[in-house]
Amino acid sequence: MASSSSSGLTFKLHPLVIVNISDHYTRVKSQEHFAPPKTNGDASSSLPSSPPRVFGCVIGVQRGRTVEIFNSFELLYDPSTDSLDRPFLEKKQELYKKVFPNFYILGWYSTGSDAQESDMSIHKALMDINESPVYVLLNPSINPAQKDLPVTIYESELHVIDGIPQLIFVRANYTIETVEAERISVDHVAHLKPSDGGSAATQLAAHLTGIHSAIKMLNSRVRVLHHYLLAMQKGDIPCENSLLRQVSSLLRRLPAIESAKFQDDFLMEYNDTLLITYLAMFTNCASTMNELVDKFNTAYDRHSRRGGRTAFI
Amino acid sequence: MESIEALVAHIQVLSSSVDDISHLHNLLKQAEESLQSQASRLAPFLEQLDPSKHSLGYLYILEAYTSAPIQTEQASELTVSIANFINSCLAEQIRLAPDKFTSVCKRFKDQVLLLQAPIQGVGPLRTAVRKLQPSSEQLTALHPDFLQLCLLAKCYKTGLCVLEEDIFEVDQPKDFFLYCYYGGMICIGQKLFRKARELLLNVVTAPMSTTNAIAVEAYKKYILVSLIHNGQYSTTSFPKYTSSVAQRNLKNFSQPYVDLANSYSTGKIVELESCFETNREKFESDNNLGLVKQVVSSLYKRNIQRLTQTYLTLSLQDIANTVQLSTPKEAEMHVLQMIQDGEKFATINQKDGMVIFHEDPEQYKTCEIIEQIDLSMQRMIALSKKLNTVDEFISCDPIYLAKAGRERPRFDFDDFDAVPQKFNM
Repeated sequence: MASSSSSGLTFKLHPLVIVNISDHYTRVKSQEHFAPPKTNGDASSSLPSSPPRVFGCVIGVQRGRTVEIFNSFELLYDPSTDSLDRPFLEKKQELYKKVFPNFYILGWYSTGSDAQESDMSIHKALMDINESPVYVLLNPSINPAQKDLPVTIYESELHVIDGIPQLIFVRANYTIETVEAERISVDHVAHLKPSDGGSAATQLAAHLTGIHSAIKMLNSRVRVLHHYLLAMQKGDIPCENSLLRQVSSLLRRLPAIESAKFQDDFLMEYNDTLLITYLAMFTNCASTMNELVDKFNTAYDRHSRRGGRTAFI
Repeated sequence: MESIEALVAHIQVLSSSVDDISHLHNLLKQAEESLQSQASRLAPFLEQLDPSKHSLGYLYILEAYTSAPIQTEQASELTVSIANFINSCLAEQIRLAPDKFTSVCKRFKDQVLLLQAPIQGVGPLRTAVRKLQPSSEQLTALHPDFLQLCLLAKCYKTGLCVLEEDIFEVDQPKDFFLYCYYGGMICIGQKLFRKARELLLNVVTAPMSTTNAIAVEAYKKYILVSLIHNGQYSTTSFPKYTSSVAQRNLKNFSQPYVDLANSYSTGKIVELESCFETNREKFESDNNLGLVKQVVSSLYKRNIQRLTQTYLTLSLQDIANTVQLSTPKEAEMHVLQMIQDGEKFATINQKDGMVIFHEDPEQYKTCEIIEQIDLSMQRMIALSKKLNTVDEFISCDPIYLAKAGRERPRFDFDDFDAVPQKFNM
């Protein structure tokens, strides 16, 4: 069912689509536990053990050979007719057209580990809106060993199998494309979601962990470069001038800002942060000391029981 | 009951490895009484032993020898030989018999004092302190003796190097009191008033079940030092961790000082001087006269400081008038002294006799500040860890749990049903 596509189309996927699909799936799955048969949406969950499948539509822009998928919305799946809810789709399409006149329906999405035979019928049904729809498949099972995104994009192609021309799904390559504003907002949404409203401490911890891992990655990349250059210097690796030129241009771009005023401001802010940390530690230490003194007084000072002893916790 | 010769032979043989040393230690403990009884005859045996190798044996014999009364003509040789021993002994062997070592050193100190030459004892006792301490955070019984010798010999700087280390563990409270008291006096001698104040505060607030004389003396000095250093002393409030015994009784013994503090806070030289005159004999009898004179002179500085909060520039004549100094020249001397000490930032214009006060020019923008703050933070982290261990330790202390458990009935029963109301061991 999956070989690489030969249509020559370039696919660009925006992160908002991925967030939408995963959010839809998560919502349906979590609500499934409360109300088994009736779910809010469409899931064709025949068995309670198998994860529900969600369906929806992806929209975007197609310019020449580039297909850019911007957004997505959910759709109801009708198990009886084995197709997506058509009138609803058209109504949604009208609504979206009013806001985004450029966006067309480019295809549909679903969740699951692999594309299935039944999906082809849905795919064919969409062919009258878009002669070559795309099928975005999200694999919701979490695999820690996997490094790439569990999102695959399928196209349909007419292949001759056993003498019968059939439509089958073929995989297509895609890239993630984003605009600055979108990146910031998706980042914001993605990071707020895991901490359940979390206190300032957990958010600060999450923020600092993020920065820490970013710095660690930068460090490891710089180390790789350094190692490579050393090896080149020693002669273990043949000298590659284009790489050297790139490295040198990178180095010439640093330091980004160098001026007395920047140094002043930077050091002042650095000192301020250090002082705040120092103050926090001080307060912590003072509070421990205070508790210690209270306990000591309770235990060893015979005559200090003045009226109104406070709670010992 | 071995004879001394046999014992000496044993010492010479068994002083090499760790197991031998413990065997030797047992032998020596058994032979203690025989050593004591023949104390006066022991001098020649000491020469047969080498202090750097046979430290433990040498120590036992030396201790027995010194427990007997010493004639004065032998005293100076004895001090020399003890000094040699201290300088060359092995720390590990010494630590096996710390109380013997301590008593030897104390007798050494007495001898040195008898000979009226305390400075001879300073060096050896410093080495002795270092060798006896298992770690630099532990207070030994020798610390106060060492500091006392430093005070008597007036070598304050040597005393300071021992005071620099923070003490975290104390065996005997009396050692601690004396250590902090002498340490405070040494710091006063070196004009390190901040550290002196800390040390004296330690004496005043240390846990004590009954008032002791050291605390009373320390309290008097503490009032004076805080007047010099801070310019104020609140006579009413003690820190929370002061024992209640101290809180109630210390003030009664030091009434003249409290009066001095009160008149200081009014800021008027005349009142201060009159208070000083009335209580002069009491100050003298406490050996605090020099300190009180410093307090009086510091009042001028305090008043000049207060002026800087109101005025940006001031003429020397005005300063002299406000602070009740007699001439502008004296005012200039005072301001100059303050600028040199780094207490005030100002410039003196000599032509028209004006003083301009400045702000602290420190911008906190430099890398040195970063290093300083970093160091402070690391110290704070270490201190915090220690505090946490002590806190856990005291939380598990049965005395504390017993007292805390008694208060339980006031709270909801279902909140605290883990700890029984009466904690029995």
